[in-house]
Amino acid sequence: MAEVKVKVQPPDADPVEIENRIIELCHQFPHGITDQVIQNEMPHIEAQQRAVAINRLLSMGQLDLLRSNTGLLYRIKDSQNAGKMKGSDNQEKLVYQIIEDAGNKGIWSRDVRYKSNLPLTEINKILKNLESKKLIKAVKSVAASKKKVYMLYNLQPDRSVTGGAWYSDQDFESEFVEVLNQQCFKFLQSKAETARESKQNPMIQRNSSFASSHEVWKYICELGISKVELSMEDIETILNTLIYDGKVEMTIIAAKEGTVGSVDGHMKLYRAVNPIIPPTGLVRAPCGLCPVFDDCHEGGEISPSNCIYMTEWLEF
Amino acid sequence: MTQAEIKLCSLLLQEHFGEIVEKIGVHLIRTGSQPLRVIAHDTGTSLDQVKKALCVLVQHNLVSYQVHKRGVVEYEAQCSRVLRMLRYPRYIYTTKTLYSDTGELIVEELLLNGKLTMSAVVKKVADRLTETMEDGKTMDYAEVSNTFVRLADTHFVQRCPSVPTTENSDPGPPPPAPTLVINEKDMYLVPKLSLIGKGKRRRSSDEDAAGEPKAKRPKYTTDNKEIFRSLPVGYNISKQVLDQYLTLLADDPLEFVGKSGDSGGGMYVINLHKALASLATATLESVVQERFGSRCARIFRLVLQKKHIEQKQVEDFAMIPAKEAKDMLYKMLSENFMSLQEIPKTPDHAPSRTFYLYTVNILSAARMLLHRCYKSIANLIERRQFETKENKRLLEKSQRVEAIIASMQATGAEEAQLQEIEEMITAPERQQLETLKRNVNKLDASEIQVDETIFLLESYIECTMKRQ
Repeated sequence: MAEVKVKVQPPDADPVEIENRIIELCHQFPHGITDQVIQNEMPHIEAQQRAVAINRLLSMGQLDLLRSNTGLLYRIKDSQNAGKMKGSDNQEKLVYQIIEDAGNKGIWSRDVRYKSNLPLTEINKILKNLESKKLIKAVKSVAASKKKVYMLYNLQPDRSVTGGAWYSDQDFESEFVEVLNQQCFKFLQSKAETARESKQNPMIQRNSSFASSHEVWKYICELGISKVELSMEDIETILNTLIYDGKVEMTIIAAKEGTVGSVDGHMKLYRAVNPIIPPTGLVRAPCGLCPVFDDCHEGGEISPSNCIYMTEWLEF
Repeated sequence: MTQAEIKLCSLLLQEHFGEIVEKIGVHLIRTGSQPLRVIAHDTGTSLDQVKKALCVLVQHNLVSYQVHKRGVVEYEAQCSRVLRMLRYPRYIYTTKTLYSDTGELIVEELLLNGKLTMSAVVKKVADRLTETMEDGKTMDYAEVSNTFVRLADTHFVQRCPSVPTTENSDPGPPPPAPTLVINEKDMYLVPKLSLIGKGKRRRSSDEDAAGEPKAKRPKYTTDNKEIFRSLPVGYNISKQVLDQYLTLLADDPLEFVGKSGDSGGGMYVINLHKALASLATATLESVVQERFGSRCARIFRLVLQKKHIEQKQVEDFAMIPAKEAKDMLYKMLSENFMSLQEIPKTPDHAPSRTFYLYTVNILSAARMLLHRCYKSIANLIERRQFETKENKRLLEKSQRVEAIIASMQATGAEEAQLQEIEEMITAPERQQLETLKRNVNKLDASEIQVDETIFLLESYIECTMKRQ
């Protein structure tokens, strides 16, 4: 009696079928699947077939191979990205990955070289390639103007690189700052004016002339003079410059956590003030502003008797 | 005594007392205390003249004398007293605002004569007032005396120590008979307080009211009720409002007024030192602003606030482009408004590895500015004298013409004749005279303004030195 060994061919032993199942699984778990998961799903497939299928998918660029603490992970690759990288070789992919990892702070070319261990000439060629394919871009850092950092094309550079809201293309926007400065000051001034004219008792007058940084921020946002979105910290830096101009004073009060505009349990209040003395006596005389003051003495080339600044001033 | 101060003293003495007094005075300021004979010898003037000059100076409290061992009397000039002469117009003005015309005239007489007895002053002032009043009325001596007593109470006027009449004609201490003198030290205490009152007024309109009346009281701490009682009648402030004003004043970040304890409804005290420091700082800031621009002023205030700051941080905080910020910092550094503090990272002090911090030392900047003020006033006085000298001929002519007109009016001349005389001064000459008068007035006013700065800075420096 001959035993008929019937090898039951599993219905989905077809390699293509395996690949499709794996891809489906990847779609199910977009964060990536381990080898274990695939094995559980298709227990009847041998390890070798599984390996073959996975390798094919990797080489076709449809799967991403990642390493995690538990082992290897397979992740479905974004089809868009998959298309992009076609035609690039592995080195470029490596560099691209390094730059991607740098996030929006960007990475300097020397750092790329260290991480990838590729020679300088290769790196430069690859970077140029990627740039021309519009996959990465170079951004000049505002801190060191000679340094160029690379980051992915569609990413917004981080504030520390571009300098934040006050820099546009590495140029400090002084007029923008000036305009904001004046607007904030006008706002605070008008608030103080209304408070003063309300003629109520002095305590209320003073308290109502205060404006919190949040209020000023809202006002500036509503004015819409800024193309860039400004945060409350930005407004606070502008208000600080007003303090250094001597036009505004600030107090900090304790505020409950829930109130609008409070940060860490306190709020900053600002108020327009008048200067405590008018321009002092010395500067009303020409000598106070004279650039050649030290050379001036009686009987010399420059003396009070023939001082041209005085003559002008007297004719005024 | 710096060169600038000595120059200024010499100009002032010359203007007020003449050449000889100036020579003696400046010599004394330069060389400190000297006996009579040495002065005469060094300056080359006769003994007689030296004695007269010293008389004048002592009468005006500019020179004091002392008996040293072996019976030698030495004379010493006080430079600061001479510089106070700049402030006389302000004293007169303050008295006028506080005590009206009578007070003004009293102070004026005393300043002109240095020292006077009370009866002499009262008589002179009353006579002067009688002249200006309508015919038939005479000034009451009692009224003048009253004002005088009030002035003495508030320390505008002070009695000199009296000398026991000794047979010995040696001019030993203590000095003269009961004569009176303007006590200049206290004199400028009262203007100082009212100056602060004015300063507060400018600060914000809603906080001035309570400041002024309180400033007049010389006590150290004042409590709530006393303030309320001492407010002038016309103010019409209720107690609660007054309380609120006081709280506001005490809470103000400038810290002019402090609250020390709650007894009697709150005890309030004026922080003179803080007030002077703020005013001195404001003066410095104003000078920086006018000389270098408002951006520089921003940087200056920034460094003041942060005490020590690096260059990079200056750019960030002040929101000024790096190049300009650097330029301004260096300019202020070169003019000695700022100084640099080095903090080395490595023992070899290598510049690339050292922190350089900018800082402002208010005391030294104030001193520097004070010196500049003295020189400025000297310049202004010189210019004024120069202008007057230039037009001396014209001035003399106009004086002669005026004298002629006055005498002719007294003898009852006709209108036509007066016209003729007046036309001796042609129109362009008249114009010139006008310009001259305007210029001289302007220079005069400017001197007084610079003196205000001197007052603030000097008070601040003195106050700080006392505390140390």
